[in-house]
Amino acid sequence: MKILSIFSDSSTCQKQLEQVRPKLFRLVFSWCHNAALAEDLVQETLIKALKNANQLRDPRSMNGWLFSILANCWRDHFRLRSPTKDADEIEDYHCVNQTTPEDEHAQSQLISHVWKAVEKLPMGQRQVLTLVDLEDFSYIEVAAILSIPIGTVMSRLCRARQALKHLLKELAPQQSAHVAQIRRIM
Amino acid sequence: MNTHNISDELLNAFVDNELDSDEKSEIFDALGKDESIRDRICELRSMKEMLKHAYSQPPVRDSSPIKKLFSWWIPCVKNMPSLASCMLLLLIGWGSGWLMSPSLHSNSNPKLLHLFQAAQSNIFTENPDNIIVHVSNSNPIRLRSALDETENLLEANRRSNRNFKVEIIANAGGVDLLRSDVSPFAKRITLMKAKYPNLELIACSQTIAKLQENGIAVLLLPDTGVASSAVEQINKRLHQGWDYVRI
Repeated sequence: MKILSIFSDSSTCQKQLEQVRPKLFRLVFSWCHNAALAEDLVQETLIKALKNANQLRDPRSMNGWLFSILANCWRDHFRLRSPTKDADEIEDYHCVNQTTPEDEHAQSQLISHVWKAVEKLPMGQRQVLTLVDLEDFSYIEVAAILSIPIGTVMSRLCRARQALKHLLKELAPQQSAHVAQIRRIM
Repeated sequence: MNTHNISDELLNAFVDNELDSDEKSEIFDALGKDESIRDRICELRSMKEMLKHAYSQPPVRDSSPIKKLFSWWIPCVKNMPSLASCMLLLLIGWGSGWLMSPSLHSNSNPKLLHLFQAAQSNIFTENPDNIIVHVSNSNPIRLRSALDETENLLEANRRSNRNFKVEIIANAGGVDLLRSDVSPFAKRITLMKAKYPNLELIACSQTIAKLQENGIAVLLLPDTGVASSAVEQINKRLHQGWDYVRI
């Protein structure tokens, strides 16, 4: 009856999903940087959630449950296309489209740099980093969502932030070098 | 605590508020003694904020799938009591169907098996539920399974003089099923289509366009329809109250 009570109040349920949907989209967008793919995966997640509503034992864990479904949809999406590869080892060319929305946001250099840096992280690290930093999940929640040990969450997060730090430095515009080059030509 | 022994993992946990109060106190002590620790924490915090800022406004496509999904869901939850009785009937139907058809127990998609057994009983006689079967994989085993299950459903439909429709919607690799030059089951599908007028075949135009972009000519089986997008078609059918099964 608990399960039924979650969905019996349709307006509450709709409100809850309306609230979480942008978060699902933001997270999966940070994984793939492709708005169309992100939208499809969020939609698939919501369809699965509605179909499997009876699996949700505790309404308070709805958020984590939805993100788990999203992580599974993401994994399935690539496994179905490339069965021999592990989702964590997916190369970026699978995810990044030449016409990514980052072009549309190029006016903001900081955002563009962060997106590029995140794109270069291995998928396992990217998932942990975004779940912790964007969605404020605790380490134990991230471990449950991605079905990995908490130690792996901590080590991936640590490696992700170290890599991100170096990538952001690499991607930062080096104006002084550019000016020096112009001077030499003149 | 020796400040040099503070690992990056511990600092990360501090920044993410994952430490207990004793561990936090140790870090605060170290902060006062070692400026480099302060710099590392500051760096981690600023990176965290930077990431949040960078994804604070991701691009949004012009769609509202929630509303579409809920327009299908809301009438269901409003009629919860009747749904409960319907579920009870389904359970009875499932039980009797299960007892009557032992041959279906192996290699069957549980969802389809359930629908098939519901089809065998007369639960939906007054208001039959149509079924959409989504195929998105080119694996021949899956394709065969999709056809087997669809045929079971249609056969049960025919025997019980019911009139529900089964629509196979194919996208991504699943479109191979409906391509006349590639499909390993072209002849079987043609025969099925002739035998069961309630069977519809739909291919995703976006997948077709992608194949054509790669220089692949796409020839579909006769009487195969094309939907602008598989997702839209599935949404539309869910909105209309169809059952959805993915192979």
